[in-house]
Amino acid sequence: MKMIIKGGIVYDPANGIFGEEMDLCIDQGRVIEQAGGEVIDARGLLVMPGGVDAHSHIAGKKVNTGRIMRPDDSRLGTEPRSGVCRPSTGYTVPNCYAMGYRYARLGYTTAFEAATPILEARHTHEELAEIPIIDKGALTLFGNNWQVMECVRDKDIPKLAAYVAWGLRSARGYGVKIVNPGGGEAWGFGANVKSHRDNVPGFDVTPAEIIRGLAEANEMLRLPHSIHIHFNNLGKPGNYTTALETLELLKDIKPGRMRQVVHVAHMQFSAYGGTSWRDFESKAPAIADYFNTHSHATMDMGQLLFGSATTMTADAPLEYGNARLTHNKWSNHDIELEESSGVVPMIYFRKMLVNAVQWAIGLELALLVRDPWKTLMTTDHPNGSPFVNYPEVITLLMSRAKREAEMATLHEQLPNRTTLPVIEREMDWTEIAIMTRAAPARILGLTDKGHLGVGADGDVSIYSIRPEDVDAARDHALVKKALSSALYTIKGGVVVAKEGRILAAPEGRTYWVDATVPDADHDRLMPEIEDKFAKYYSVQLSNYAVQDAYLPSSRVIRAGLSVEPAKSARTLAEVA
Amino acid sequence: MRTVKLSPRAAFSISVEAECITPDRFAPLSLSEIGAQPVWLGNRVMHLSELFMVEGDDCTATAGDVVIQLMGDFSRVKRVGEGMSAGSIEAWGSVGMHAGNNMKGGLFAISGNADDWLAREMRGGKIIVRGDAGNYVGSGYRGEKCGMRGGEIEISGRVGAFLGEHLCGGSIRVQGDAGDFPGAANQGGSIFIGGSTYLPGAEMSKGTITVKGEAKVLPSYQRTEVVELEGEAYQKYAGDLVDGGKGELFVRAL
Repeated sequence: MKMIIKGGIVYDPANGIFGEEMDLCIDQGRVIEQAGGEVIDARGLLVMPGGVDAHSHIAGKKVNTGRIMRPDDSRLGTEPRSGVCRPSTGYTVPNCYAMGYRYARLGYTTAFEAATPILEARHTHEELAEIPIIDKGALTLFGNNWQVMECVRDKDIPKLAAYVAWGLRSARGYGVKIVNPGGGEAWGFGANVKSHRDNVPGFDVTPAEIIRGLAEANEMLRLPHSIHIHFNNLGKPGNYTTALETLELLKDIKPGRMRQVVHVAHMQFSAYGGTSWRDFESKAPAIADYFNTHSHATMDMGQLLFGSATTMTADAPLEYGNARLTHNKWSNHDIELEESSGVVPMIYFRKMLVNAVQWAIGLELALLVRDPWKTLMTTDHPNGSPFVNYPEVITLLMSRAKREAEMATLHEQLPNRTTLPVIEREMDWTEIAIMTRAAPARILGLTDKGHLGVGADGDVSIYSIRPEDVDAARDHALVKKALSSALYTIKGGVVVAKEGRILAAPEGRTYWVDATVPDADHDRLMPEIEDKFAKYYSVQLSNYAVQDAYLPSSRVIRAGLSVEPAKSARTLAEVA
Repeated sequence: MRTVKLSPRAAFSISVEAECITPDRFAPLSLSEIGAQPVWLGNRVMHLSELFMVEGDDCTATAGDVVIQLMGDFSRVKRVGEGMSAGSIEAWGSVGMHAGNNMKGGLFAISGNADDWLAREMRGGKIIVRGDAGNYVGSGYRGEKCGMRGGEIEISGRVGAFLGEHLCGGSIRVQGDAGDFPGAANQGGSIFIGGSTYLPGAEMSKGTITVKGEAKVLPSYQRTEVVELEGEAYQKYAGDLVDGGKGELFVRAL
């Protein structure tokens, strides 16, 4: 089907287009030079590539545990079946259908599930297959895996790379996720690691060695995405030193593709100063300074917003702490040789100083890091807030007046604990388009996403706002309303949403990475895996890998030792 | 004062959901507009007037001046008085499940019985039941951490299990017996039970439960002194210690 989008004010920063009036043509799901067909009138309106969310918890066992634990959340977002839509439920943990519809209404067309253990990947793919419209993928957890720790202990990076490749293939996963490395394993014995230099009980390795080992294996395999890390000590006062020291560990690693070496997940939760919750303060300036002076790392904000959230993570000891702190219900889960995890419902309060400081830290990070290509806009859905509140975060970034109005309602001690009140920066549409579209696609290594160049996926969002007339800093309420329901969301050349109504619900694709390794390394690895299945796993090796039937519409990206690095990827330096 | 009378046209064999029956919704509407309000009969949407006779004063009023009289049997009509903030509802028979859900103010008087989930998550106002009430009076719905937060409930008869579960405030007085686990996870409300009950105050962290009849007390409660309440001797207990609770439980000393 052919389509021409006429007269929009296009923001496509990946191709150097910063608010130019131009026509866009789409044919057979891709952007092309010229076409006729259906005409979409976007005269004077804001046009961007479809949104890309690089870190969100949208599918899998812990999301579903959240749903089971929270029938109270389920009734908050019920919408009956209508038109092409199946029924929706939930606010912080929506059902699968609602995930697709709500992303599409925001103008998002791609979202990546941020943490899946290999053992539970089948469940993740069952849910991903039920999420309509958007394209997706799932990062695979490796940070507390016995096989990983053994390879790191033996300093056998080629064997580790073989395991990572095998794990990604078994999980139909997209990239290497590391969550509180070593801590999840220690949690099996009721303990945690206190720094990246602690020994992991039962394994003669430290979190630092695990992280470096996985980063080296990741780059040896030339995976499209870098390692994606949730730091040790996340969520604890004073943890910014752990963050900075961990980033220092990785600065000399050579990237296998032209991109970052490490992506830091939800940086907000790791930018804390102080020695306890009493003297808790923001260390966002120190973190931002590090990102401003180093080019091997990128991050996403993990912005926290006030109200209801559901924290869910593979960092089980953290969730134990959350449950004790809030006296709330708590789920705790052990995933055999691979991970542990937890889920705790949470409410963030305006009048609670700690929550107010957390809110400020996310914004400080985004505003103090000068290069928007390094900072993605996320809320770590649903840990900081559900993704439906992205328009709130974007308007906070664009309007100092809005930030000041918000701060007036918060705890009066806030200015003593953060620098947010003195930050003047107000982002423009180019920076927002980078943080929500171009940068996440580039950081994930998705060459067809996040831009509107010829050959890119025909994913476009059009908002009923005139960027040339509207001052986003002043009319932030208008901007928020416009961003909350896109005038048009076009996915693969099909209008899927118009003014908040879902018009079509096509199936989205699932991306995964197939990396090749030398047979010799694979053959050295397999007897060890077979041994673990014989001794420890509760399932047979033959039943472990996700079968292709679970990915009805998949897109495989090749990587590995025999594949040349992708030529289309540009470096951060080139862009700057 | 504006009076609106509703009476079922026939006995219902399946449940009706009628959350529109509140003084707030009726106040600005004429009788014919009230009759056109949507209600669910099973899985079908109908007009209120298809299921009920709608009579009374055909004028508008503020919610506080509206009296809704429910004549006849409403025991299969759910969600009556949901979210009402003012005015009053007088039910001359029994009412169905979820009556007075999330009620914020006004008066809801029931001559007959109330079914399960009466006044769940109530915020304010007053509910009086002359007969009995079902399970989960004044509770939080499934998964909710906070049930009733304010207001008053008075029940002359007996109630079912889980009276005031997750209670966060307000007061409930029951003259008859209460089923198992009244005041479970009470976080600050007060409950009076005129009759007997079984295992009150499990996981209570704050608040008060008084039992005038007999009660089996959980082993996680610590027996303290004997106190006098309204001229009678009561044994006081502190708990629930399982949850480090600071609740007070009084059971009449025999």
